[in-house]
Amino acid sequence: MIKVLFFGPVADRVQMRETQVEYTPGMTLHDVIAHIGMQYPGAFSIVSFIAVNQTQVHDKQTVLHDNDEIAFMAKFSGG
Amino acid sequence: MSNPVRIQTEDFSQDEEINALKVGSKRIGGIATFLGCARDFSEGRDVSEIGFEAYGPMALAEMKKLREEAISRFALLDARIVHRVTTVHAGDNIVFIAAAAEHRAAALEACRWMIDELKERVPIWKKEITPQGDSWVTPHP
Repeated sequence: MIKVLFFGPVADRVQMRETQVEYTPGMTLHDVIAHIGMQYPGAFSIVSFIAVNQTQVHDKQTVLHDNDEIAFMAKFSGG
Repeated sequence: MSNPVRIQTEDFSQDEEINALKVGSKRIGGIATFLGCARDFSEGRDVSEIGFEAYGPMALAEMKKLREEAISRFALLDARIVHRVTTVHAGDNIVFIAAAAEHRAAALEACRWMIDELKERVPIWKKEITPQGDSWVTPHP
């Protein structure tokens, strides 16, 4: 399974903080985005950062592995 | 001695953080600090509370990286970064950053650099709770 986390404004948009997506070999980050986007249209309009296993990624073709953790995040506003 | 980089719910003591720097080296000639605290007014509205949320493990890792980069980039003798993730009220402490160097220029520049970078790079979000409702804060320069 792929663990998917949502934070801050993005969590409010999808009305959940965590979900899981079934892993299939060869799956990419784009596949997860498409899967979540179908359930929550517009959810990604405020996503500015995506992390896989706590490291920011820019390439949506990044190949995922079973038990990966993906986080969808809006612009940061700490401090 | 407490960890120099922390995310915590409880308040922190600026004196304790500064003392932790001073006991580490007698070569320190200047310590620059930044204290971020909660305001009671923002974007034309009264603010009653501010709630914080963080992607804890990634935020802490990024803060540690930030400290190491600052030490290397500005030739600091030491640095500390503490951020609270909880609900705070007007006047409460939010974040503390301290940079210790042999001379003031490096300390001041590093302190400014660390808070600016923290706002850009560390996955923490703040939500203002106002009488008119709640809203996530848009990042400010």
